[in-house]
Amino acid sequence: MKRSALTNPYILILPGVLLAGFIVIWPLVQITEIAVSEVNRFGQLRGFAGLENFVAVVTDPAFLGACWRTFIWTVAIVVGSIAVSMPVALILNEDFHGRGIARIIMMLPWAVSLTMTAIIWRWALNGESGMLNSALKALGVIDTNIQWLAQSSTAFPMQIMIGILVTMPFTTTIFLGGLSSIPDDLNEAAQLEGASPWQVFREITLPLMRPFLNIAVVMNTIYVFNSFPIIWATTQGGPANSTDILVTHLYKVGFRFGKLGDAAALSLMMFAALLVLTLIYVRLAMREDKS
Amino acid sequence: MTRKMRRTIWSWLALSPLIVLILFPFAVMFITAVKPAEEALQSTWWPSTFQWSNFIKMWGNTNFGPALFNSVYVAVASTLLAMVVSVPAAYGLSRYRFKGRGAVQQFLLVSQMLSPIVLVIGLFRLVAWLGLLDSVESVIFVYAAFAVAFSVWMLQSYFSTIPADLEEAAWIEGASPWQALIRVFLPLALPAMTVTAIFSFINAWNEFVIALTMLRSQESYTLPIQIFSLVAGRYTIEWELVMAATLVATVPVAVLFAWLQRYLIRGLALGAVK
Repeated sequence: MKRSALTNPYILILPGVLLAGFIVIWPLVQITEIAVSEVNRFGQLRGFAGLENFVAVVTDPAFLGACWRTFIWTVAIVVGSIAVSMPVALILNEDFHGRGIARIIMMLPWAVSLTMTAIIWRWALNGESGMLNSALKALGVIDTNIQWLAQSSTAFPMQIMIGILVTMPFTTTIFLGGLSSIPDDLNEAAQLEGASPWQVFREITLPLMRPFLNIAVVMNTIYVFNSFPIIWATTQGGPANSTDILVTHLYKVGFRFGKLGDAAALSLMMFAALLVLTLIYVRLAMREDKS
Repeated sequence: MTRKMRRTIWSWLALSPLIVLILFPFAVMFITAVKPAEEALQSTWWPSTFQWSNFIKMWGNTNFGPALFNSVYVAVASTLLAMVVSVPAAYGLSRYRFKGRGAVQQFLLVSQMLSPIVLVIGLFRLVAWLGLLDSVESVIFVYAAFAVAFSVWMLQSYFSTIPADLEEAAWIEGASPWQALIRVFLPLALPAMTVTAIFSFINAWNEFVIALTMLRSQESYTLPIQIFSLVAGRYTIEWELVMAATLVATVPVAVLFAWLQRYLIRGLALGAVK
């Protein structure tokens, strides 16, 4: 075999690894440095600060609220999207008239950018002239306008609903992949034995879907935890920070209040949380690989 | 009634609440975009006339043209840059077993999971250090780097399905590795490369946080930031123009995505198995 750059894998992968590494590792080093330093508003480092920035982050009253809401936000969307996607995938896996169209409709929320989706919903949920209010009024469900985004008790559930809606297509896709890997004759054999559809689902489909369910949970947890545009473009975490989650809180601390040290410390804490989630995912993926 | 007919009715019936919810924002967008300005703030559903001139007005009033140009420039350039480094890397990973291969794959997997938001403080400093703040080039650079992990992962899973025997046969016939690559491998890999490039394009087209952080003046805004700036922190919002802009910015890419999503699904599935 002739020698050439093409036969040396290290030369082939080097540019890609350098570019990806540069954009992950350099910022990470910077963040670590800022996190343990005293920083002024203009981003100049003024000496070692130890854990001061970390203490400032966790003693910020807004932080605990954001943590709690991040937990609700992530769990509600991950669980909600699975609860919606499983039946959708089961339906789309069966043969019926117009299935192709149904599939495309179900994938639509995935096709539009989150920012645009959030801006459209911000308008649809407008208290005075939003079309959700006018639709609900026309249907007789409500008779006075609801200020959906003006208080967190309605804004946050709506944001979660939007989150579930945009997470559903990806989740359904994973489940459809799982369902297509289950051989048809398994279901047919169970039906011949007299099993009800519910029994087939519980005893055959669900156990075989377990790995796909795991991957959907871990990947969605990572995506949802990181999701910024839905909340930012509808309420920017308002009113009075009552819909902030960690990512929007981080953005405010860093770029609105200019506390770079605190923001860097918070970034590191979130990075650690993400790393744990990712390691879980890698282990799951590798286990799949072996089996 | 046949079994299939019955199943059709039940399936559509079961999906109908979700379909309403999915189509609702699209309906809001379409209807508002063609409403006359004085009706946009009234809570009626149907416009009295379809005012198509909203789109012309939107183009003039919202800085849409320059933002569209920036978005196209950023998405194309970052995709090209990502592909130039990803294709060789994916080729190397799929064709050779070498020391450190597993480590590279794990690194790519982990960096694919990292969202830019946790790194945004560091990225901001990096871009400031490079003197690229408020220039679209900074965004191109960051998008390309973040696209590398996804692209390599996706390309690698496709490349592994192309038998290496074909290139080896070409080598035996006396072709150089470059000839084998260009004549034998690339034609077979072209569909996978196209699909990966389009997804990288769509990701760049839709990205929000990085652009929001790095791009500070209107001349450098991409579409998501431009449209967001029309609603954020404004007392009066011309919603009919905002929705017209959203529609024009969204629909072409959404159609592209709807057409190609099955390839993404296959790529993801292959990536999970390989």
